[in-house]
Amino acid sequence: MQEKMENQELDQFKPKIVGFLCNWCTYAAADLAGSSKMEIDPALTVIRVMCSSRVDHNLVLTTFFSGADGVLIAGCHPGDCHYGAGNYYARRRYALLKKVMESLGLESERLKLSWISAAEGNRYAEVVNSFSEKIRQLGPNPINKMSGL
Amino acid sequence: MNDFAALGAKIKAADGPGEAIKAFLRQAVEKKVADAVLVPVKVPAGNSYAWILVTDMSILDDASPVAPVMPVQGAKALKSLTRKGHGELTVMAVMRPCEIRATFELLKLNQVNLEKVVLVSYDCPGAIPFRDYVKDPGFGEKNFQAVMAAGGPAEKNVKPACVICDEFSRVDSDIHFGWFGESGSSVLVIPSSDRGVEVLGSMGMECSDDIAGWKKTISGLKEKKTGKRTATLTETAKTIQGLDGLLGTFSECIGCHNCMAVCPICYCRQCYFDSEVAKKTPDFILETAKKRGGLAFPSDRVMFHTGRMTHMSLSCVSCGMCTDACPVDIHVAEVFSYMADITQPAFEYTAGRNDGVPLPLRKYEEKEVPQVHEIVKEAEGEEAAHE
Repeated sequence: MQEKMENQELDQFKPKIVGFLCNWCTYAAADLAGSSKMEIDPALTVIRVMCSSRVDHNLVLTTFFSGADGVLIAGCHPGDCHYGAGNYYARRRYALLKKVMESLGLESERLKLSWISAAEGNRYAEVVNSFSEKIRQLGPNPINKMSGL
Repeated sequence: MNDFAALGAKIKAADGPGEAIKAFLRQAVEKKVADAVLVPVKVPAGNSYAWILVTDMSILDDASPVAPVMPVQGAKALKSLTRKGHGELTVMAVMRPCEIRATFELLKLNQVNLEKVVLVSYDCPGAIPFRDYVKDPGFGEKNFQAVMAAGGPAEKNVKPACVICDEFSRVDSDIHFGWFGESGSSVLVIPSSDRGVEVLGSMGMECSDDIAGWKKTISGLKEKKTGKRTATLTETAKTIQGLDGLLGTFSECIGCHNCMAVCPICYCRQCYFDSEVAKKTPDFILETAKKRGGLAFPSDRVMFHTGRMTHMSLSCVSCGMCTDACPVDIHVAEVFSYMADITQPAFEYTAGRNDGVPLPLRKYEEKEVPQVHEIVKEAEGEEAAHE
């Protein structure tokens, strides 16, 4: 019975994913994907940032602790940063946060980094759709069940 | 640890290393090598120690260069002194190895200025937990005397961070006082930098004593402590796994943020968690409570500690100030040391060195170091497929 309930719960599970998208590339890619009428999973809520390196660890943690089921950070391809090297710094920040999450046994696969240029509308749709599917399989963020936190 | 000099100057220290350091400081000021000294001095009430920038050498009588407690991390004291740059005066600062290592982290953040500072370190036996000390200073002093008499890094009666400290000896200071394993009546004054050599030269101290024996003692002690550290932190790791583990560890947390306030490394001018951005609307709070079935206050305690782990574990020098300041005895220092031992090697970085290597988040490699590459290769893999 309980299993059935859980399955039902999973079927109804609509993940909430927050995407921090770089203004100069991935945000434009999202725009392109939209205007090209590509099918994009509605699970993703977009937050535009001026650079992927703007995404401080605390922003990501706040997002997770506020109940998001997944976080996507996306910026320009390495070498293509609008500001020169922001995405290289972002990459290090991401690696650190991922390492901390892994070491604490938190589900680090809920966090994803991707490089998507302004011209890659189709790639944007692919990344968002596959990440949403992955989160759907992972299920809801366990933080949402913990009243003590 | 740099391998600067193979020679040191053996000096008499009949009254212990503390008195020997005081005599050295007096001499340094007399010979005009330093204009002022920064040392812990016993407060008039006699129940604690404070960092005093001493210009009148008679105050040195009450100073305790090797103080039993660490009420304020030395790096913080030095930061208050040199945050806005250096003055005309040369300051000689006597600090524990962890305080000097924290100082170098702050140097990399441009939050201290060491232009006119001579850093003096010493073989540190550890410090007594601050609250134990203030409860009964007499007993604390007696405890510390026993710790000093043992002539090595202490294994009990000191702060938990000191019990697992394997950086208790020479660091990248300018001058080091080595006394572990030396006979009770002498200490080694060892220059550890060009400035150190220069200072000892101007003071007319001749470095002609071999320090190989002392070095061997230290590396033996260090190996033992590293083993202890690894064993303890492996146990710590088990207690903080998953949200349940974190909640269990930090469930007593009263959200006072003391650990952050006393941390010498916590470098943000305005802490995110104390900022307006982190404050939530009542609607949001109610919504969250509804979703979770309840909400604890103060909220976000686990997030606060996790956030701090990401922010400063790369620079953590395991000084243990956080545990010392925790009013509810959470073993914060072990948790942060555990994280430091994972994140620092991942970025091929060791906190606390004066080696010109920038902080890991202030630099990058186009082709990342192996452990970082391992983590980001998923995104990079997509990149390869994309090309």
